[in-house]
Amino acid sequence: MGIVIAVISGKGGVGKTTTTANIGLGIAQNGKSCVVVDFDIGQRNLDMILGLENRVVYDMVHVMDDGVDVKQALIKSKMSPNLSFLAASQTKDKSVLNSEKILKLINSLKESFEYVILDAPAGIESGYEHTIEFADKAIIVVNPEVSSIRDSDRAIGILDSKSQRVKDGSEVDKFLIINRIDAKMVQSGEMLKSDDILEILSIPLIGKIPEDRGIIEASNQGRPIVLFENSKAGQAYKRIAKRLCGEKVDFVDVESETTGFMQKIKGIFK
Amino acid sequence: MKTKQYSAKIFEIDLDSEDSFISFFDKNHQLFQNHLIVVNGDESQSIKEYLNGKNLAYLFNKKIPKANKEKEILFEEEKKEEKKEEPLKEQIKSNIKVLDKLVRSGQELVIDGDLLLLNRVNSGGSIIINGTLIITQIVDGDIRCDGDFMMLQTSDKANVVFHGVEVDNKYLKEKLNRVELINDEIKITPVLKETSWV
Repeated sequence: MGIVIAVISGKGGVGKTTTTANIGLGIAQNGKSCVVVDFDIGQRNLDMILGLENRVVYDMVHVMDDGVDVKQALIKSKMSPNLSFLAASQTKDKSVLNSEKILKLINSLKESFEYVILDAPAGIESGYEHTIEFADKAIIVVNPEVSSIRDSDRAIGILDSKSQRVKDGSEVDKFLIINRIDAKMVQSGEMLKSDDILEILSIPLIGKIPEDRGIIEASNQGRPIVLFENSKAGQAYKRIAKRLCGEKVDFVDVESETTGFMQKIKGIFK
Repeated sequence: MKTKQYSAKIFEIDLDSEDSFISFFDKNHQLFQNHLIVVNGDESQSIKEYLNGKNLAYLFNKKIPKANKEKEILFEEEKKEEKKEEPLKEQIKSNIKVLDKLVRSGQELVIDGDLLLLNRVNSGGSIIINGTLIITQIVDGDIRCDGDFMMLQTSDKANVVFHGVEVDNKYLKEKLNRVELINDEIKITPVLKETSWV
């Protein structure tokens, strides 16, 4: 039986979908079978980031409502044989979801994959609640800014009260990804430090992703940034994927990295 | 018949030599004005005259019955313990709630009674309480308190209302601040100040 990981954030635009795609591919590159599921019904875009938009025939709603077999709806990625994708419906909305159908779908995915990664919609509406309902673990993606932190805080609160695991008396393991860290801005005090964010949210860190201009281009091309060996963000996602696969990987301090010409010179004289 | 009972202070002294006796009392006679002096030794006329001259009350070679000191002390201790016990019982009876729970955004704690919170109140989280409130970590969220007092530290983000009056955050910056209502006025006392490192 596989484990179900929900990727959540509360606020939109912080990098949930990018994170889902990269972690999914990263896990697959580590030799584990993995399926990424887009739960953002009516606003799907994980297919684009994975470069699979022209291959979606059946989506999640077809599987749940129209009796389409899961295996028919799953799309195999060209980038890794271990990675599959299940699309969200673009025409329906979140009202089609209900707990019973979702549990059935997730159970069938757990049987054939080691990792089931769910990309949650932004916000804390029913779509979000259904995404976290049957999750074993949750990855919270946060940007180093107050609005993102508050929304994530809210999302964690809902996770802690509404997931099935909590109702059964256990807990959902939570991990934090701090995304889009600008080392320069952190050093100059303009951006919140990771330590402060961790103190506020008080959940364990699983990785920090530096701001990387390459991500936008990578998304536009439909090639997740983990495929780019030289990308700092790509390397960070790789490390997170390894940690999720149970490897011990040292944390790289992306905040104190020397940035800019002058600081590199200063670094030489240290 | 008229009787009185009272305790007196007794100063007991052994008389070895008259000279040292007199030089001792020359120095210290003021201290013994309210004492009864019991002298153990030869009852000499010169000593009697000397003590009369200093206006001191004295007796020679008398066994004065003493109260058992040890017993007395024990008795006092017992009394003290009894006194201590009563407020302790009160404390146990009072039903203060102790919570180590992070109050996250969107969560609302409504407390009927007193609360000791050992965790943070995050931005967007809130506590509504009609009793005393003590929070040991920083408050970024909303507090509505109608109790006797509050002890807390807030950041700029916090919104604190005490008995319907908004408390300015700038007075709540120290590590722990006591907020109380005295004669319809809110009084804020910093309990623990931020250590300033030089």
